[in-house]
Amino acid sequence: MEIKYKVNRLQTTNEIRPLVDKHWADLRTAKERGEKVAWASGPSFIFAYAMGMKCHFMAGYSAYCGGIGAGEEVLKVAELAGDLPESCSYHRLHMGMGEAVARGIPINPQAILPMPDLMVAGRLCPEMSHYAEGLNRRFGVRVLPIDLPGPYSKDDMPRIREFVYRQFKEVVIPTFEEVCGKPFDYDRMSEILRILKEVALLRNKCWEFFKDKPSRWTLWDYGVSIAPVFYLMGNPAGITYYEKLLKELQERREKDIPAVAPDGEKYRLYWDGWLPWAFLGKFMRKFIPNGAVVLCGRYPWEFFPHPELIDPEHPVESWADLYYGMESHLTYSFSPKGTIDLIGELIEDYSIDGLVMFSSKTCRVMNLAQPEVIDVLDKKYGVPGVIVEGDMIDSAMISDAQIETRLQALFEMIDGRRKRK
Amino acid sequence: MEKAMKKIVEVTSNPYAYVEGLKEENNKKIIGCFPMYVPEELIHAAGMIPVVIWRGNESVTWGHAHVPPYDCGITRSFVDDAVRGKLSFMDGFVFHIRQCLQAGEFPFIMERHFKPAYQKVLYLPALYAGDAIRDFAITELESFKKSLEDFTGKEITGDSLKKSIETYNENRTLLERVYELRRGKPEILKAREVMQIVWSSMLMPKEENNELLKELIAGMKKKTVETKKNSIKVIPVGCLCQTLQFDILDLIEDLGMIIPDDDLYIGSRYFANKVGLDGNPIEALADRYLTKSPLCPTKGVWDIHWGDEAIKKMKDNDAKGIISILIKYCPPHACYYPDFKSKMDKEGIHEIMIQVEHEVITLEATKTRLQSFVEIIGGV
Ligand code: SF4
Ligand code: SF4
Repeated sequence: MEIKYKVNRLQTTNEIRPLVDKHWADLRTAKERGEKVAWASGPSFIFAYAMGMKCHFMAGYSAYCGGIGAGEEVLKVAELAGDLPESCSYHRLHMGMGEAVARGIPINPQAILPMPDLMVAGRLCPEMSHYAEGLNRRFGVRVLPIDLPGPYSKDDMPRIREFVYRQFKEVVIPTFEEVCGKPFDYDRMSEILRILKEVALLRNKCWEFFKDKPSRWTLWDYGVSIAPVFYLMGNPAGITYYEKLLKELQERREKDIPAVAPDGEKYRLYWDGWLPWAFLGKFMRKFIPNGAVVLCGRYPWEFFPHPELIDPEHPVESWADLYYGMESHLTYSFSPKGTIDLIGELIEDYSIDGLVMFSSKTCRVMNLAQPEVIDVLDKKYGVPGVIVEGDMIDSAMISDAQIETRLQALFEMIDGRRKRK
Repeated sequence: MEKAMKKIVEVTSNPYAYVEGLKEENNKKIIGCFPMYVPEELIHAAGMIPVVIWRGNESVTWGHAHVPPYDCGITRSFVDDAVRGKLSFMDGFVFHIRQCLQAGEFPFIMERHFKPAYQKVLYLPALYAGDAIRDFAITELESFKKSLEDFTGKEITGDSLKKSIETYNENRTLLERVYELRRGKPEILKAREVMQIVWSSMLMPKEENNELLKELIAGMKKKTVETKKNSIKVIPVGCLCQTLQFDILDLIEDLGMIIPDDDLYIGSRYFANKVGLDGNPIEALADRYLTKSPLCPTKGVWDIHWGDEAIKKMKDNDAKGIISILIKYCPPHACYYPDFKSKMDKEGIHEIMIQVEHEVITLEATKTRLQSFVEIIGGV
């Protein structure tokens, strides 16, 4: 008899929405309270938080915008203003939002943010520079750019770490001091890191429940829980949230409740690339009826997988080390070799059956050498993978039929290999 | 002039055969430099031949298995050439992977499928404020120099590097001269020939190219041409890393437009700015890279505007319009273009954007658009 799979929803994840909404509402109204506002891309917003500025994080905004269903209308305004559909959709979202305000085009008011006093452009990817430049040219936004090269090989990391650290000390901190008219608040940065460390340690305990067979939760559940380890960092509410989540997962284990009813998943999958924020439900509806569950991924693992390395006593050094230190090497996980190492570990730790490599048509940061990565990992671990093309926000770039075909192919490959075992 | 031009056409018509022959003739190693900002002088000083990688003219076949279809033409074509073994004569590659995300695709694909004897990844910084940027650019070039020395087993001395810089600077001066002469009498060369001239400099040893350019310049000086009365001058802008399909340049001319100058990489951008000869040569190379003008959208500059530069070039050449050439799936250009366009609109400049794909199926649509463009600017 055919099994009817469905998701067992977690209760705790319902509690994230108010936290997230409050963050964006505080940001929207910051100017009314006379507070300074920053926008940031790359791992640079912590400096704004340390100075007490309200700060929006570009990818976080895009996720939020997609989540509240405002993506399409904002993208339309960008197109109207001349942005090309092949530009990264995060870029287009920000241009669209700015243009909507400047031209008085009505969009969902929740998607409108105040223009920043400072745009901190951490150039992890060159496009992050492009949208900061665009914001400066179009709306006169002041930009504080930082170059953050992603290392191709581990040997390159020490010199890049030095370069990045110097920019933090010599450019970033003095600029914040000038914009805010006060000395840099190292103590607050330490406090933010202390809270982040606590939240991420709890989050790591939650990750353990992905290892259960059947898994107790899905990557999508973690996706909606990401904010406390990222743009809500420094907010103690994140600790409470993850404590509750951990408790719920423990209860599930005790009562043997799986993430996928009735008896757990048939396929355990890895997800590569961005989470498709505007299409989480769509993908869920493709996975679950097939008994497939996504458990881990490169991007969601970007949020400080080794919190034990966070050193709140040396905040600026620690921030540079988290991204470029030889032990943490977060940025290295984005190079093809680093990706292979990371996914290899995840395959083993989470008993992964297949890889879904999400390839965004407008953001190539994680597409680099994806076919090669599949090939290497298949040869090494015998785990098959497929590429699914799409976009994080832009529905024009998502094809249902293509997703369906590729996923079916993946499930068939997994079945075939199981039979041969 | 004809003889020099014949050689240039020969070199650029089949760059694969030419570069392979070069290797045999000179008994030197060939190092492919992915465009745009690899300081070739260092490779030259290391006793090898740097060659700027080009976009092939064939449709992508095997490359599809390695790069997505939504990558720019040169990315797909280069990977295709490499995995099909068409570049087997190359001994090594240099990639500046911070130019755009696509450029980051190459090193791993090459390591797996090409296994070059030499490969160097450069992280040239964005042109942001602060001493750390220049210092890092210098560190990068030092590390590049060291990797070349390790590969060849020979030191690159300050003197040998300065000599290479002189040779390269001479090439830049000669290309400038070609452009000056063309500016005076634009009909003297077809636009495709000008592109081939610059391209030949990217493929040939610079010493040889310098001799060829001298011959060409002498011929250009002597040659008289009849100026067509009704031709309308336009400036092509953009097309970042790639040789433009010559057919498009021909089309522009066939429609009665004339190109007295350009803002293209396989054009005036390649030879813009010389390397200083006083002081430390590595620092001088870094300073050339760190020069903001001509503005390149891959470099992170916003205190000057690309549109202003293009308009100045247009006015200096007494041209009437700008043709933006946008490579499909080139994010640095695509992201800049709306601001470029609005600058044109604000300044009342006639501008049209042509989007170019690697596999051009038909030029009909482009022709129609260019035709109406020429009609509009012709009436001004
Ligand atoms: S291209 Fe990708 S990584 Fe870069 S800014 Fe856009 S979404 Fe972010
Ligand atoms: S054409 Fe554009 S996207 Fe392609 S390699 Fe060059 S700069 Fe990068």
